[in-house]
Amino acid sequence: MTTGLINKILLQSFVDGPGNRAVYFFQGCNLRCVYCHNPSTLARCNHCGVCVSSCPTGALRLDGGRVRWDSGRCQDCEACVEACPHFSTPRVLELTEDALWERIQPRADFLAGVTASGGEATQQLDFLVSSFALVKRSSRLTTMIETNGSLAPEALSRLLPVLDAAIVDLKAFDNDVHRQLTDAGNESVKETIAALARCGKLDSVRVTVVPGFNDTREEAVETARFLRSLDPRIPLRFQRFRAHGTRGAAAGWPSPTDDTMETLCAAAREVGIATVSRSL
Amino acid sequence: MEYKFGAVLSFEDLHKGLTAESLDDFRDAVSEVVRSRALQTDEKLVQLASLAAKTQAYTPCSPEANRAIEQGILCLMGEPGRPFHFRYIAPDFARLLTHGSEFLELAPAKDLYDAVEILLTAYNYVPDHALLPVALGRIDLLLEPYIGTVPEPTARRLLASLWRLVDRLHPSGFVNANLGPQETKAGRLLLETDRDVQTVTNTTFFYDPEKTPRGFALEAVRTALELSKPYFFNYPLMRRDWGPNVTVGSCLNSMLVGGGVYTLVRLNLRRLAEESRGSVDEFVEQAIPAYAKLQVEVINSRVRYLVEDLGFLESSFLVREGVLQRDRFTAYAGVVGLAQAAQILLERDGRTDVRYGLDAESNALGQRITLRLAAELKRYPAVHCDGSNGRVAFHAQVGIQNDIGTTPGVRIPVMQEPDLYDHIEVEGRQHEALDGGVSTILVFEPTARENPEAVLNIIEGALRSGVRGLSVGCADSEYVRVTGYLVRRSDIDGARTERQHRHDTDAIVADLVANQPQFFNRRVRSV
Repeated sequence: MTTGLINKILLQSFVDGPGNRAVYFFQGCNLRCVYCHNPSTLARCNHCGVCVSSCPTGALRLDGGRVRWDSGRCQDCEACVEACPHFSTPRVLELTEDALWERIQPRADFLAGVTASGGEATQQLDFLVSSFALVKRSSRLTTMIETNGSLAPEALSRLLPVLDAAIVDLKAFDNDVHRQLTDAGNESVKETIAALARCGKLDSVRVTVVPGFNDTREEAVETARFLRSLDPRIPLRFQRFRAHGTRGAAAGWPSPTDDTMETLCAAAREVGIATVSRSL
Repeated sequence: MEYKFGAVLSFEDLHKGLTAESLDDFRDAVSEVVRSRALQTDEKLVQLASLAAKTQAYTPCSPEANRAIEQGILCLMGEPGRPFHFRYIAPDFARLLTHGSEFLELAPAKDLYDAVEILLTAYNYVPDHALLPVALGRIDLLLEPYIGTVPEPTARRLLASLWRLVDRLHPSGFVNANLGPQETKAGRLLLETDRDVQTVTNTTFFYDPEKTPRGFALEAVRTALELSKPYFFNYPLMRRDWGPNVTVGSCLNSMLVGGGVYTLVRLNLRRLAEESRGSVDEFVEQAIPAYAKLQVEVINSRVRYLVEDLGFLESSFLVREGVLQRDRFTAYAGVVGLAQAAQILLERDGRTDVRYGLDAESNALGQRITLRLAAELKRYPAVHCDGSNGRVAFHAQVGIQNDIGTTPGVRIPVMQEPDLYDHIEVEGRQHEALDGGVSTILVFEPTARENPEAVLNIIEGALRSGVRGLSVGCADSEYVRVTGYLVRRSDIDGARTERQHRHDTDAIVADLVANQPQFFNRRVRSV
């Protein structure tokens, strides 16, 4: 039995994989993407206690050097999230696999499966693997992850036996652009994509289009060529960057235009990717 | 004249029928119909016939039953006190296709041309309310034997014609065609051509998770996310209650092929709660049983009149030719206003913070009332109701224009709808008892169209929660599922009196837009 730090659980989502899915968002991520729209999922709470006084209902207290969150008193105002100086949140659930499944199982009749997201789910690999194993032992629900793809191949092989499919976010194809956006290179991401494609467990690749970074035709073409070399049937989805929820410089960045989005989709289709879609 | 509840007109009198005193009111009512600029001539015909029938005294009932009608607790839904036709009739069209008809001068069908012609002819000879073929039948099963007799493009052309002609000849959202649960070539083509032709004709998709291929179900879901139809009905539950010859007519009404529904008498739970004194327990243990008994009494009185006094079926060629069978009919005991009843009773008990749909206590009370009413109704023999095992069928009636502030059936009122799963469970728990027909209506964000599988998951979960009938659609659709029937937004702009409405349901909705706009503001479920 392991425990996971879970930021949020949604029992109904139509946008995190095929069918209706329960989604659980892990707390903590290994990347620091400049344009992250969920910055409070990035870091684990360090119990600095700054947020405690911000709570209007007394749901937070400092106890034995740790910040404790009483979800029963919480009114979801997120004042504490606003107050946190560390890209974190005190509103985190620490759950065993059983406790997590207990929350999801009552709605299993409505679900096609579960999706692990975040943060970065693969950063808590032990818990991720055992939570998926429990889902598979207990039901016919499918298991998916949304991931930044930076997972090492050895770790991926631990996950594959209990994973049905993954959605990989490719922040940028060009390694330098990837570094500019995330502070990390993308070799491992490409390896992950290739490994998943080889075993038929790549659901799709998602690209968040950020003006001035990866919104070029060349990016779309190179990404498409890479995917086509693996399997032209891999779905590719372009998402629009939106400043909403971001912090720092990204909060002032524009969203890509419809023209840009259409150009990128067209370029990918021309290369031969069969299923290219984009967000509205 | 004193105020009358529901759809009872000012000159109607339970005991005396038309009298010298009410003659002026009657003359005014006739005049209003004759002079209307909004009604077409055939609509005037139907309404004038109804007015004439309403000059008769009601069928004989006890003083308590009559009093319940006068108080608006029992409601005859605009049917005359002495009806002159059955409410819904569901002819066995398969019999006409295989045997032809002597009366209608039709030979048995040899190909799809014949089959479509026979159906369209027969649809014109259904002697129920307004002569509407409310139950078009299980048209995929009806046409599947003939679908291979012509090339596919011809079949598509013929089926498109069928949909179009049904809409042009019987313009009403109360007309309902059934598909499924198995996939057939006819069913696929009917689904696709319905989507091409685009009418408000209601369609019902019998869904059986064990029997219905996923691809076929997804096609139906994709259609529904555009047109808010078909309705998805729980075939295993329907089959359990009605057998394999079940069909759905009008909005959501279950009946047998070759039979129909004699009449519908509904119990207005809101009115009953308003008129009752006493505690919650007294309501459930005393008032509900007492009025269930009266409800069945009124139904039996009307059915006896229709079957025995009028001998309605004796002269009909439909019975002679085996298209209708005497032992396949039922009668509906309808219910409306459960939400208000639960609210009123708990508030009277001092609980001012309750809202049916949103809190456990009023939800539990709602269910308790529904289940008790169902049990009570099934205690009494219902005359001539061999189609439903000699008992009335319990039906969630979806409201009439005058029902301001009274929620259809056992539904949660719009504007106090809980989250998706809770909504499905609170309503679904009650659906099993409502064998006559009931439905839950859900509206999704338009992006749901990108994931029809997800919507199918919701439908499956709903059926497992006990839901009998489910409508799904998108918030931006041109087609709105009002309370049970469909309307196109473009058909209802403009008040009722300013223009003619081709569909009788459009005319009803034109009234509703002003008086009950909540039906256009259902909670939109996020994806």
